[in-house]
Amino acid sequence: MDFETLSADLRGLQERALKEIAAAADPDALEQLQIQYLGKKGDLTAVLRGIGALPAEDRPRVGAIANEVSEAVKGALASRGTELRAIVQAQRLLAEKVDVTLPGRSIARGTLHPIPETIAAIAEVFGQFGFVIYEGPEVENDLTNFQMLNIAPDHPARDLWDTLYVDIPGHLLRTHTSPGQIRVMQSTKPPIRALLPGRCFRYEAVDASHGFEFFQVEGLMVDEGTSMADLQGLLDEFAHALFGPRKTRFRPGYYPFTEPSVAFDVECVVCGGVGCPACSKTGWMTILGAGMVHPVVLQYGGIDPERYQGFAFGMGVERISNLRHSVPDLRYYLENDLRFLEQFR
Amino acid sequence: MRVPLNWLREYVDVQLSPEELAERLTLLGMEVQAIEHWGADWRSVVVGELLTVEKHPFADRLHLTSVNIGSGEPLHIVCGANNIAPGQRVPVALPGAVLPGDRRIERTEKMGIASEGMLCSGDELHITSDAEGILILPAATPLGQQLSDLYGDVVLDVDVKPNRGDALCLLGLAREVAAATGAALRWPEIIVKETGDPVSDHLRVDVRVPELCSRFVGRWIGGVKIGPSPDAIQMRLRAAGMRPVSNVVDASNYVMLELGKPTHAFNGAAVTDGTIIVRMAERGERLETLDHVERELMPDTLIIADSKGPIGIAGVMGGAASEIGDDTTAIAVESAIFDPVSIRRTGHRYALRSEASLRFEKGQEFRLARIGADRVAQLTQAWAGGTIARGRVDTASVEPEPARLAFRPARVSKLLGGAIPTADQRDLLRRVGIETELAPAGTRIQVAVEPKPLVVDPGSEEVLVAVMPTWRRDLAIEADVTEEVARIRGYEMTPAHLPDTLMPAYRHSPLRVRDAVREIMAGAGISEVVTHALVSPADEAALAWPDDESGPPPDGASVTDGASIGQPITVTNPLSVQHSVLRRHLIGSLLNVLALNERQGRESVAIFEIGQGYGRVGDAPREWNRLAFLLAGSAAQPGWNQAARAYDIDDAKGLVELLCRLLRLPAPVYTADETGLPLHPGRALTVVAQTERETLSGRVAELHPDTIARWDVRAGSVVVAELAIKGLAGGNLPNVRVQPTPRFPEVDRDLAVIVENARPAAHIEASIRGHAGELLRRVTLFDVYRGAPLAASEKSLAYRLVFGARDRTLTEVEIDGAMAQVRSGVEVDLGAHIRT
Repeated sequence: MDFETLSADLRGLQERALKEIAAAADPDALEQLQIQYLGKKGDLTAVLRGIGALPAEDRPRVGAIANEVSEAVKGALASRGTELRAIVQAQRLLAEKVDVTLPGRSIARGTLHPIPETIAAIAEVFGQFGFVIYEGPEVENDLTNFQMLNIAPDHPARDLWDTLYVDIPGHLLRTHTSPGQIRVMQSTKPPIRALLPGRCFRYEAVDASHGFEFFQVEGLMVDEGTSMADLQGLLDEFAHALFGPRKTRFRPGYYPFTEPSVAFDVECVVCGGVGCPACSKTGWMTILGAGMVHPVVLQYGGIDPERYQGFAFGMGVERISNLRHSVPDLRYYLENDLRFLEQFR
Repeated sequence: MRVPLNWLREYVDVQLSPEELAERLTLLGMEVQAIEHWGADWRSVVVGELLTVEKHPFADRLHLTSVNIGSGEPLHIVCGANNIAPGQRVPVALPGAVLPGDRRIERTEKMGIASEGMLCSGDELHITSDAEGILILPAATPLGQQLSDLYGDVVLDVDVKPNRGDALCLLGLAREVAAATGAALRWPEIIVKETGDPVSDHLRVDVRVPELCSRFVGRWIGGVKIGPSPDAIQMRLRAAGMRPVSNVVDASNYVMLELGKPTHAFNGAAVTDGTIIVRMAERGERLETLDHVERELMPDTLIIADSKGPIGIAGVMGGAASEIGDDTTAIAVESAIFDPVSIRRTGHRYALRSEASLRFEKGQEFRLARIGADRVAQLTQAWAGGTIARGRVDTASVEPEPARLAFRPARVSKLLGGAIPTADQRDLLRRVGIETELAPAGTRIQVAVEPKPLVVDPGSEEVLVAVMPTWRRDLAIEADVTEEVARIRGYEMTPAHLPDTLMPAYRHSPLRVRDAVREIMAGAGISEVVTHALVSPADEAALAWPDDESGPPPDGASVTDGASIGQPITVTNPLSVQHSVLRRHLIGSLLNVLALNERQGRESVAIFEIGQGYGRVGDAPREWNRLAFLLAGSAAQPGWNQAARAYDIDDAKGLVELLCRLLRLPAPVYTADETGLPLHPGRALTVVAQTERETLSGRVAELHPDTIARWDVRAGSVVVAELAIKGLAGGNLPNVRVQPTPRFPEVDRDLAVIVENARPAAHIEASIRGHAGELLRRVTLFDVYRGAPLAASEKSLAYRLVFGARDRTLTEVEIDGAMAQVRSGVEVDLGAHIRT
């Protein structure tokens, strides 16, 4: 064995290895080649075994060549390995291809009912103006539901509220959220800005626009100098927030517990004011009743009407929801057909 | 109140279009709810002239007519009426016409002879009440004209508010129109031709309860001839929504609609001795009223009587015995002022409310008693002839001076929120007939009247006195004057601005916890419903829980701690039995929703409601808030990429556990509830999760099959829960309290515990927790196994225990020690053995 032979063997080994590595078809084959050429019992080791037979001065030269060969083979293995992994990954990705146009896995999400949602929307607007929420009982006493609101037992205005009575003496199912005015005034002092949402009851046959159970939101603001102009300003903001920029108007109304009393109209949300069946061709839709709190009511609330004045308003939650969501029939709300409710998803 | 514009124009000139007039009235507070085109449904009804009237050859009752309708060939029309003759002008419904009631007129054949239309009676056109004869039109009526062009009118439907009884009449609304437009008001000319004997020869009135009948004006008209009133009057009454009856009755109704004064005409012959007595009914007295119902009178009823007994219920309805009939010749007119409250009570008591009683209830202008009596006498004589007796019977002929009301113009401005000069206020008030003058020194201000009167000294503020028109009985306090100023001025003149006054203190919204729970539930795939609070007593009883009388208190604390929700509250005047009690539990309502949706073809229903429960303890009503949910059908919506899975009780418990986590409550503790109906005896539990401040408690269960069957539900199993959660009625969520994250690794160990089948898992977990010592962090059940090699009476529950310490990595020795404690503890506590 001489230097030339040995170095020729090494060069031959390199040439052979590089050729085979380049031809390796997959990572397994590549690994076999690594073992075959660079392993402990591999070809390179086998060739180098002959190094012992060389003269001492040739050995370093062979060693240098062997290093070159080893590095070349390692480099080839690494780069071919990278190539092969990329190919394999590409193949796998190809195999993993799915029909991306298939629908996803459905995630159940319940819907929230439009009544509490509408109450929340109303509360959000008035909340920005400092109105805080209170609640009153639904089984109310006659005194608070009527008499303290300036509606005497035989007042002709009682016809405005057909009442359901219960088997507890002096009690009834509240016909409106207005008794909450009394309860708030009795429990807190001005400045008052209160909002009272809740369920109400009336002796009323059910049709598309009436029900014996329905929801209202009452508003009350009392302070020194709280005026009709404040009421109008706030209600304009409210109408703007819920129905977009629209004309509004006050027109005289009547409630025994406010004086003056008004109805608040918004330009018809269907026709924009030109007149259509939805607004009885008037171009206006009434969204709530309001007025300045009657001095009798203030006094029952423990508030001096000479010092304080204030306004109250009351709106039907279903009415607001109907206008916002084009709901054609009041019965939808308490019927709970999921085909209706799921549209609010 | 229906207002035919042609009638209204008798009292005030109206230049505006009906739409403009409606808008002006609405902005004055007289809301026009509809504009009806009266006569619009007489389509293709024209004026014709009868040329010939001959007998029908094959039918005695029928006539053959030929009618000239102004153009084309005469029409041949078969007619059954007997009041027709050649030369008359009559309404002719042409083929294709549609009459009121959607009655279509076509070319037909009657007894073998073709008829090219129909001659119309007043009744068929809803013009008069005469259904027998054809409506004969005045001879000058132009031929061929559409009837609606001649007799049609525009009718405004005005919603007159309860405080404005004075406007429940044509004249009252004419006053408002005059105020709105500045036009002059024309009173009807009321002239009574008194040519008979003194009224005292015929009529005496004895008011025995003057506190309930402050004035009674009577008139007497002899020699009348009963018949229909003039066609034009009948048409007016029809357009105003009142059925014409006879000339005398129509006169009374006409005056009610014109002046707002209900009056009553008695058959004079039926008033014994010509003496009318106003008194309270006596026990046992009976009266057949005009609607031909025999009524037993109650002693608190104000009645009109004669010496023999009752002849009418005052202000509500007359008696049949003194009704005006065809042979009536003498009329006693009653025009009285009754106490509004008494009339209202009586109307309710007998479920008898008439146009008259509605007006009495709202109070009447005192002088209208006199004016109404005169007007009725005048019109009766005009339409029915006869002789009016001289003078009136009048029990209170002194009419009071107009009321005076002091007000402060500055307060008017302050309430409205913008300065309105005093002079402007006075001008505005004058437009509705309110004159103002400077107040004498010392005038005090009526801020409020009954039931909470308040009179104040105005100090140095400017004060005016308003002199109220006698008909405005609604103006009693300063704020009423304010409303008049605002109303006449128009609210568009009021400035609008946002409040610049002090804000109230912060307050938690009572909706906060409710909204958090709603979001949690919706996020978990459950849909919110809102159902009726009023339910049927049978449904309510079917879902009562055994511990309702001793069970959960209304404030949302524990279900098991003793206080009662009490008995259900019952509505005493329900609309239907289906909605006659207030629910104590929500689950029945959810079952109704399930049943409804199943009927719509829905198989899976997952719903929740946060709603009130109601109960009574003695005479104390109580209300509370609860969360209830119901799960039926598939938990997962089956799809191409996921399998269907039926809801079961574990889903319900999962929701409860989710709620506890998100509401910062400890893990819930479950206890079997084996009481049975309405719940499945083997699949029901009570749940409690409690900290010092927060609690959740309630029941989770599958429903008993009998309960499911009762609601006619198809679903094989229905899982429900009803939970009391403190804070639902108002409260706040506690802040999250963070623990430092563990710095040392945790170690887990598995443990399989074999126990007899009946042993609740809760016992095992409790035992593990009790013996594991303070290094235990978590215990999770991950498997339940039955079958070989276990005995049939056994089950194996596999738990993963996680150990850790805050200050060090645990050693094997520590963990082994803890596990040994657990193993021996579980064996001792439960007679369990450990699977290895």
